[in-house]
Amino acid sequence: MSNLGFSFSLAQLWQVCGGQILLIIAGLALIIADILLLGRDKSSRTGIIGWITIGSLVAIVLHVMFRQWNVEQTGIGGIFSADRFTTFLCAVVIMSGILAALMSLGYLKNNKLPHSEYFILLIFAVYGTVAFIQSVDLLMMFITLEIMSIAVYALAAFIKACRQSQEGAFKYFMLGSFGSAFFLFGMALLYGFTGTVNLSQIAKAISVGGLFHQPAILLALAMLMIGLFFKMAMVPFHMWTPDVYEGSPSVVTGFMATAVKAAAFGVFIKVLFVAFSPLLSTQSGFSATASLVGLEAYWKPVVWWAALLTMFIGNLLAVSQKNVKRMLAYSSVAHAGYMALGILAANAEGRAGILFYLFSYTLMNLGAFGVLYIIDGVERGAQTLGDYKGIGFKYPGLAFLMSLFLVAMAGLPPTADFIAKFYVFSAAIKEGYMLLAALGIMTSVFGLYYYLRVIWMMYMEEPERDVRAGTLTAPTLVAIVVAAIGVIYLGILPEGLATIASAAQAGLAVVF
Amino acid sequence: MATLNYYIVLASILFGLGAIGFLTRRNALILFMSVELMLNSVNLMLVAFSQFRAEMAGQVMVLFIYAVAAAEVAVGLAILIVLFRHVKSVNINKFNVLKW
Repeated sequence: MSNLGFSFSLAQLWQVCGGQILLIIAGLALIIADILLLGRDKSSRTGIIGWITIGSLVAIVLHVMFRQWNVEQTGIGGIFSADRFTTFLCAVVIMSGILAALMSLGYLKNNKLPHSEYFILLIFAVYGTVAFIQSVDLLMMFITLEIMSIAVYALAAFIKACRQSQEGAFKYFMLGSFGSAFFLFGMALLYGFTGTVNLSQIAKAISVGGLFHQPAILLALAMLMIGLFFKMAMVPFHMWTPDVYEGSPSVVTGFMATAVKAAAFGVFIKVLFVAFSPLLSTQSGFSATASLVGLEAYWKPVVWWAALLTMFIGNLLAVSQKNVKRMLAYSSVAHAGYMALGILAANAEGRAGILFYLFSYTLMNLGAFGVLYIIDGVERGAQTLGDYKGIGFKYPGLAFLMSLFLVAMAGLPPTADFIAKFYVFSAAIKEGYMLLAALGIMTSVFGLYYYLRVIWMMYMEEPERDVRAGTLTAPTLVAIVVAAIGVIYLGILPEGLATIASAAQAGLAVVF
Repeated sequence: MATLNYYIVLASILFGLGAIGFLTRRNALILFMSVELMLNSVNLMLVAFSQFRAEMAGQVMVLFIYAVAAAEVAVGLAILIVLFRHVKSVNINKFNVLKW
């Protein structure tokens, strides 16, 4: 039977894709509202559209968290799945969208960009990420990947007068479409050799046909990995990251670094552990003979080296950066390397650790970019290390929050990232990756240097020039404070989220 | 009579040419063409597989890929036009304000 055949009921559609449907409705309603508000001046229109966006995203995240959490099924002919794993990640990316939207209100005002279409693009970008995470079909993954990417390309290019913004967006676009061409090639090969693009059907076809060592399947796996590594910003496919993160509007960078990365990690886990994991497919009735432990031997060394290089290159190049935003971009590359340890561990703790990591990473990264854009004033106003000298005394509140988020990213104890790193590293050690974990901890200690250097600049150096921070609006303050409280709360009391994350990773088995 | 292998080899060669073109050429518009070549080589392969397996799914996928590629290029060219107004060039070596 062709897996494009449609047989579904509306009730099931609503159960599985309720969040997606609401996001599309909200996006279309925003377009209509934007037309209805044409009479008003641009900045008040932007404000109204912004608040509607925030309101609908909050409603949708509540729907996803409370109504979708207990739904465990695949719908629409096996294209989308709702299970706890995807629901957790959907909640993370929608949360990232809410924080980004709250900050965008102030960002657009500070930079004098009263364009209401920003929020419409943002909500469709959130839709793309949610649908990307929920899809269990390679073709649907490609389509939703592009929905997500196209909206983010447009957001990255949002400052029309700024050459850096355009240049970053162009590089993102070019390398993004280059990467998705590889993803597509992998999909086509899998379709040809297994006859399906559905993840669980691929696993069955590989198991039944014994296609573990077939070159075409391995090539397809490699191609899919290249495509997803681009979006996850793993070395050696990270070249675009610093340029794009530096050029894009700061809030968009925060959204890109968190939601897009979370979605790419979620899909990578799904592809590896559903389609290419014969061990998991034993649950659906295939016997685990020795020959079935085939594919792990191929992808594990690749992920091992990618994780090592990502941690090293991300941390090493971050040290040489003069621009704080670019430094944060390299730090985001390094964080992808730590998360990859959880994938390499390939056990329940590793996957739960990644989910925890993505949640805490979303909070601290968006928080840091929120503070960064306010210190900036206007985009590229004060981003270099020299500009940060002495602002600890001029803007004590902002400097304190920045220090908090930087300490959190460095992974120091009372913060969420310490716990997250502990989970992924201990999961990797449990599976015997002692050397890699030791090297990872070493790079993480090394990373302390460049995070603490910014804090040193803020408090210990004399100001070089008069930096004028932008106005801190109430919505931005709310977003930053929520992120700061979350980072500290999860550092002190991580059990609640850890329990939810380990329940969430168990949902991966439902995809079968 | 061309067998399936011919199509796979041809599509792979086209894909490789697209990738090499993307990595070596310096004109932004040629880069667009290279990516299109890569996508279309995948389309060729999907149609061949679809014919070989005697089912329609592969050909339906091609239509989806066409639609997505068109949407992608529309946004990409718009970004390139705005960038061109800043740089006055389509040579990607000139897109160098962001570097370490």
